[in-house]
Amino acid sequence: MGASRGPRLSGLQKQVLSLYRGFLRAARCKSAADRRQIESIVSAEFRRNSNQVDRKNFLYIEYLLRRGKKQLEQLQSPNTESLSQTKQS
Amino acid sequence: MATGLIRRAISSSAAVAQPARLLTARFHASEAEAQKVEPKASANTDTKKFQIYRWNPDSPSKPELKEFEINLKECGPMVLDALIKIKSEIDPSLTFRRSCREGICGSCAMNIDGCNGLACLTKISSSGSASTITPLPHMFVIKDLVVDMTNFYNQYKSIEPWLKRKNPPPTPGKEIPQSKKDRAKLDGMYECILCACCSTSCPSYWWTSEAYLGPAALLHANRWISDSRDEYTKERLEAIDDEFKLYRCHTILNCARACPKGLNPGKQIINIKQLQLKR
Repeated sequence: MGASRGPRLSGLQKQVLSLYRGFLRAARCKSAADRRQIESIVSAEFRRNSNQVDRKNFLYIEYLLRRGKKQLEQLQSPNTESLSQTKQS
Repeated sequence: MATGLIRRAISSSAAVAQPARLLTARFHASEAEAQKVEPKASANTDTKKFQIYRWNPDSPSKPELKEFEINLKECGPMVLDALIKIKSEIDPSLTFRRSCREGICGSCAMNIDGCNGLACLTKISSSGSASTITPLPHMFVIKDLVVDMTNFYNQYKSIEPWLKRKNPPPTPGKEIPQSKKDRAKLDGMYECILCACCSTSCPSYWWTSEAYLGPAALLHANRWISDSRDEYTKERLEAIDDEFKLYRCHTILNCARACPKGLNPGKQIINIKQLQLKR
């Protein structure tokens, strides 16, 4: 389902967007190469979920938000350098 | 949070169907007698049904209660044994936390037949009706019976559960001496394994889990307040002297009922409230 980027964003959409912004801000504090890596992974994940997940599936969206917040907290710690992804075979 | 609760209520339609079944059994007694007695105890099969809460975040479906039937003669006596048997023989995707299998780690805390408890310490009830196993109430579910405990752990961390002293120990390099009487004051609090059974059984904690610390964290707060070696008693009392952190407790005392180790968090909270008055 496509995201409705009209004048009125629902509370849930605002939360998702603020999480995305948080990830991009956290990426800014890392090195340049790592920053590009983080941005590409995060934007790919958000775009994939926005296309695949049903807008009305609140349970799953809230679960993804909680998971994303925890991952963001881990990323924001100064000890973390970058993000990487492995594909499930 | 609310959406999760509502979804659970709707999908556990098995609970709604049961009263209807009981009614028909009463009216047509002779018929029911022939029907409702399932082949229970025979020489080598004694079956019991389990209704287990299932939800997979990767599938778009709503949570539901799935039924499993196992032979009690081939299974250990505790609910954890049944869960492990189901996972190994019937459905490997069943997800739950477990570790010590002896009631000391607190990982397998879940709601069994309406009461919070440790699966490794709860015996499978011998009644013929199905046992319902659901995750700890009013907690976000990660998958099946696994819940998100981060809020619970953060609340425990917030009360600073370590020894704090202003002066160095009386004999440097050696342990701080404590009389037997002072050590006995900690009995009933140090045994807590942080299983979260008490906090998740408290209705007040259900409605304000962001602000109310919950029975487990407050029990530990009292443990450090009553420790004679700790010198920050006044500061600890001041830190939790808050309308939400402490005074959301209305002595419902569900916590004492739920604790699998037999502790009484409600009593410790009353102790804290009394100390607040004396301060």
